[in-house]
Amino acid sequence: MSMWGYVILAYGIVWGAILLYVVSLKRRYRAAENELQRLSDAKES
Amino acid sequence: MPQVTGKKRKGILGAATLVFIIAGLYWGLVKAPPDAYQGDSQRIMYLHIPSILIAYLSFFLVFVGSCLYLWKREKRDDNLAYGAAEIGVLFTALTIVEGSIWGRPTWGVWWTWDARLTLTAILLLIFIGYLMLRALVEDESRAASSAAILGIIGFLDIPLIHMSVYWWRTLHQPPSILRPDKLPWENIHPELLTALAINFVAFVLLYFYMLSLRLRLGEMHEEIKARRMR
Amino acid sequence: MKLLRQTLLLLRKDLLLELRRHESLMTMFFFGAQLLFVFNFSFELTPARVSELAPGLLWLAFLFTGTLGLTQLFEGERGNHCLDALLMSPIDRGALFLAKTCFNIFLMGLVELVVMPLFWILFSLPSWQPLPALFLIVFLGNVGFCVLGTILAAVTLKARARELLLPLVLFPLMVPVILATIRCMEALLRFGELGDALPWLRLLIGFDVIFLTVGILIFDWVVDV
Repeated sequence: MSMWGYVILAYGIVWGAILLYVVSLKRRYRAAENELQRLSDAKES
Repeated sequence: MPQVTGKKRKGILGAATLVFIIAGLYWGLVKAPPDAYQGDSQRIMYLHIPSILIAYLSFFLVFVGSCLYLWKREKRDDNLAYGAAEIGVLFTALTIVEGSIWGRPTWGVWWTWDARLTLTAILLLIFIGYLMLRALVEDESRAASSAAILGIIGFLDIPLIHMSVYWWRTLHQPPSILRPDKLPWENIHPELLTALAINFVAFVLLYFYMLSLRLRLGEMHEEIKARRMR
Repeated sequence: MKLLRQTLLLLRKDLLLELRRHESLMTMFFFGAQLLFVFNFSFELTPARVSELAPGLLWLAFLFTGTLGLTQLFEGERGNHCLDALLMSPIDRGALFLAKTCFNIFLMGLVELVVMPLFWILFSLPSWQPLPALFLIVFLGNVGFCVLGTILAAVTLKARARELLLPLVLFPLMVPVILATIRCMEALLRFGELGDALPWLRLLIGFDVIFLTVGILIFDWVVDV
């Protein structure tokens, strides 16, 4: 692998992992929001 | 209204983070020249150095959160410790990956037991132990207290681990042309320094952005739990 | 001093229980001895190599044996809500910590007193002279291991998969102790004196002192969980 190959590998893994984590955070956030909504709806009914 | 200003601040932080990330990518990959000795693989250092500093920052926040939690027993301090640990694991693992990939063209091997890599690996193990402890202790408040104790002890141990690993590597390693445990930013070219600085700011902003998301998530989980109990 | 008196009281209780039933001591000792046999089959331990490998092998044996002892540490208090009773009594938590730590140091110390000469016999090491000094170094390493180990054993008391979690959490934190003890032992075996390894001894003693202090201060919160 050339030098640039290693650079691209490193940058790819790093930014890929960070992106995946942020996406997972947002997904968990949305799930929590839905749960809260569900709970407050159940409380009202 | 606190919610609006909170969202606005997060939006500004997110925007600033994005700007600096793009600037950092440009400076690191395009504008900065390749290093005289290491060639283009030096560009990995623009990721590696900020990553390791963020990892240590994370552990410091775990320590702060742990101390505050044991002292005041407020959920948000425990939330800080937990969140910082989660993100800390990510950045520590990335640091190791970056270090390993950088090492391959430089030293010809994917791994070496030099001081930096070894220390980062130990830090990763401590972080993982922290998260496993949280996952395996059943009662919530007990998990928080137990983890806080571990966070404090781990943080206090880190300087000792540093000393022991550095002594171990430097007292036994014969001098070599490329000193693996020498900081790579000695005698650094100004253009490279700019790229490093921009990437560093990008990582710090990114870290706090991710942390704010994670903390908010933790707060929501607390609210869900509270509502379920009513 | 009150702390000391309470510590001795608790320690006496644990020692009496152990001397009557020998549960922990026997398992630890036989496990340690067994490891020596495993080493024999796993490594080519020629007389030339064995002196080099001795510190590391011994420490491996003691780490695993010590972990066994740690998981047993609060066994005595498990039944009949004994631990709750202890916590509700006006005893200083620091005393509980010191007592448990000393108890474990004592157990490990006994095991080491037997296993080390056994190692010397089984692998025909040339000189018995460094043994007392070696034992002292191992003892200091012991202290570090037991101090951190006791805190973490208490913290993981109610965790699932406790026998696996405890070493997972403990071992990375033990790195300074492992490195320092082995470097000192190497120096003693090779040169008969510490010499260049003196900073390692200071690091080891520093580690012991720091975490002994931290343990006494922090144990209030540990068993509060």
